[in-house]
Amino acid sequence: MQRRTLLKNGLLGLGAMSLPSLSWGLPGREDAEWLFSAADDAEGRHYIQAFAPGRKQAYRIAVSERCHGGCLRPDSAQAVLFARRPGRSLHVIDGDARAEIRRIDAGDGFHFYGHGVFDADGHHLYVTANRIDDAAGLVRVYDARADYRHLADMPLDGIGPHELRLMPDGQTLAVALGGIRTHPDYGRAKLNLDDMEPALLLMDRRDGEILARHRPSHHQLSCRHLDVGTDGTVVAGYQYQGPEWERRPLIARLSADGDFSEIALPDDLTAELRQYTASIALSRRSPLALVTAPRGHRVLVLDSRHGELLASHDLSDAAGARCDGQGGFLVSSGRGGLYRLGGDGSAPQQIHDLPIRWDNHLT
Amino acid sequence: MMTPRLFKQLGRLGLAALTLASASLLADDTSPQAREHWHQAIEQRYGALNDASERLEASAERFCNNASDAHRQRLTRDWMEAWQAWQAVRFVDFGPIEQNSRAWQMQFWPDRKNLVGRKMQSWLAREEAPTAEQIAEDSVASQGFPALEYLLFDDSMQGTDALAQPIACGLMSAITTHLADTAGALQRDWQRFGDHYRGTQSYTTATLHGALLALETLETKRLGEPMGLTGGSANGYLAEAWRSERSVRLIEASLRGLEDTFLPGLRTLLNARGKPELAAEFGAGLDRARQGAAEMAAGVAPALDDRDRFRALQGLYVQVGQLRHQLETIGRELGMVRGFNSSDGD
Repeated sequence: MQRRTLLKNGLLGLGAMSLPSLSWGLPGREDAEWLFSAADDAEGRHYIQAFAPGRKQAYRIAVSERCHGGCLRPDSAQAVLFARRPGRSLHVIDGDARAEIRRIDAGDGFHFYGHGVFDADGHHLYVTANRIDDAAGLVRVYDARADYRHLADMPLDGIGPHELRLMPDGQTLAVALGGIRTHPDYGRAKLNLDDMEPALLLMDRRDGEILARHRPSHHQLSCRHLDVGTDGTVVAGYQYQGPEWERRPLIARLSADGDFSEIALPDDLTAELRQYTASIALSRRSPLALVTAPRGHRVLVLDSRHGELLASHDLSDAAGARCDGQGGFLVSSGRGGLYRLGGDGSAPQQIHDLPIRWDNHLT
Repeated sequence: MMTPRLFKQLGRLGLAALTLASASLLADDTSPQAREHWHQAIEQRYGALNDASERLEASAERFCNNASDAHRQRLTRDWMEAWQAWQAVRFVDFGPIEQNSRAWQMQFWPDRKNLVGRKMQSWLAREEAPTAEQIAEDSVASQGFPALEYLLFDDSMQGTDALAQPIACGLMSAITTHLADTAGALQRDWQRFGDHYRGTQSYTTATLHGALLALETLETKRLGEPMGLTGGSANGYLAEAWRSERSVRLIEASLRGLEDTFLPGLRTLLNARGKPELAAEFGAGLDRARQGAAEMAAGVAPALDDRDRFRALQGLYVQVGQLRHQLETIGRELGMVRGFNSSDGD
C-alpha cells in the first residue's frame, strides 16, 4: 500500500518496469518489536542487549566476546548476532526464551566479519567470513532448519567482506567488500592498505555467482556497511583508509537498475566525518536513507533516490541504526542513549537510556 | 507517507540542521590555538623520531662495518633512543600515523604468538639478507623496534658475534633503513597534515582522546596485563621490550612525551576555561609518574619475581590510573565525548 502510494506520487522516479516484484517484502526489521545490539557495560563486559522500544523493556545476555552486527530470522523469534572481527562465533538468540540457544563456531581456519543475513523464509543464513590461510573472503551458508549446519562457502573473489543484505528479489545478496586484509595473529592491523580492492558486490545466493562488482572511486575506500530499500536501491557506507586530509566520498548508491554512483557531501561535513561511516538504514516507507558517523558524532539523512543530503544532526557517538516501523528510524549511541528520528528528518529525540555502550549496529 | 511538499520541507529543515551542526564540541575560540600548539609540538616529536631513526640506521651500518664492542654499545643505545622517541609520540593515533599501518610498523605489539621471533628466525635462515624494500613488503612483525630487539637481545643471538654475521647484519640494516624511511615519511606527512589538523575542530577531541587512550593502554596493557592485575595471571612476555628488559624505559618515554608534547595544548584549553589548576595537577602527576619510572629498574618481567620491584611497579600502575582518571575528568570539563564507536568501530 505504502509502496503504491509512493509510486502513484511518482516519488520513486523509477520506471515501473525496473521495479522488482512487490510480492516479497524485506523481512523482519521494519516491524520487529524487539531490537538487538551488541553492547558493553562500563567495565567492558560484553553482552547482547535486547530492547523493546514500545514497551521499554530490556534484557541482556552475557557473551564471552565483543559482538558486532546481527540479523533477525524471519517468521521466528530468533535473532543471530555475530562476533566482531576477527571473532569466531555466531550467537543464536531465542527472543521468547530470552537466552542464547546456540553458538556456532566459524570452524578451524575461519573467522567471521560480524554480519549476516537470512533468506526470506529464514531457512538459510549467509555470513561473511575469512578463510584465514589465503584471506579469501567468503559467504558461508548455514541451514537454520538443521541446527545451523554449515552447508557451503561461496567465494567473493576478494578480501574482507563485511555487511551483506538480501535484495527484494529474495535471491540476490548485496555484499560490502571492505578489501582490507587482516590476520588474527596480527590482531586488527591492516595488512594490505597499498593494494586494496574494495567493492560493492551482488551475488546470487543460490549458486554464489557474482552478478555485479562495483568498485569505489579510490582503492582505499573500504566499502563496509549497506542497506537495501524496498525498490532495490542499495546505499553503502565507506571508511576511507587513505590520508585524513584528503576528502573522498563516503557514501555510495546503487540504483535498482544497476547504476553505481557516489554521493559527495559538502566539504566541511566530509571533513567532520573523519573518513568514517558506521550504520546504514533505508526506510521501508519512504525514500530516506540514514547514515551514522560516530567519529563525526553525526547522523545524516539522505534522499535515497538521488543521494541528496536532507539533514545532518549532531549525535554523540552515533552508532546503530534501524527502521522504527513507523516511517522513522531508531539510532543508538555508544553513550547509552537510544533515539528516534521521525520520517520528517527532524532531530533525534532520546527515547531511552541504558547504562551500556551500544555497539556499532542495531538489529 | 512522503509527499513532494514534505520533501521540500525536509530540504529546508536539513539546511537548518546543517547550520546548527557546526556549533558543537569544544567550539570555543581557544581550540584552534591548542591545535596550533599541538601541531608544532608533535612536529618536533616526529622530527626527533626521524633524527633518532637516521642515527640508528647509521649506527647499524657502522657496527656492520666494524663489529666492535663500542659500536655495539652505541648501536644498542641508538636503538633504545629511537624506540623512546617513538614512545614519546605514540599517543598520536590519528593523521599520518594511520597511513599504511605505520604505528604497527614501528612497533608490532602485543605479540602473543612470537611472530617477531618467528619472522626473524625465518629471515636469518635464508641465504641472503633482505633489502629494505623486502622488509617494507614483509609483515609488520619484521619492520619495527621489536624486530631489532630480537636481533640485539634474543638468547639465540647471544653467541659470539651472532649479530655481526652478514645475514644478521644485513637484516638489521634493512630494518633500520625501512624504519628511517617510515619515520621520514611520517614527519613529512605530518607537516602536510598541518592545515587540515589546525582547521578541523574534531581534532581537538581526537588529540585529547589519543592521550587518554595512551594512558589507558599504559595502565591496562603495558602494566596491568603483564603484572597480572587485570584478571589474568602475571606474564612477563606480555610486556613490551621483554627481551631487552627495558619496558619501564619505554613507559618513561611515553610519559615524557605526554608531558612536553600534549600538556601545553591542554593547558591552553584549560586556561581558557578558567581551570588552570586542572592542567597544573595533571602536569604535576605526569611529572611525578615519569620521575618515579626513571628511578625504577628498567624491566617489567624481572619485577614479577621481586617483591620490592613489583611494589614499585604497582605504585607506577596506580599513578598512571590516577592520571587516566584526571584526564577523564578534564575531558568531561572540556565537553569531550568519549566515543565507544567513534574510537573503536569496524
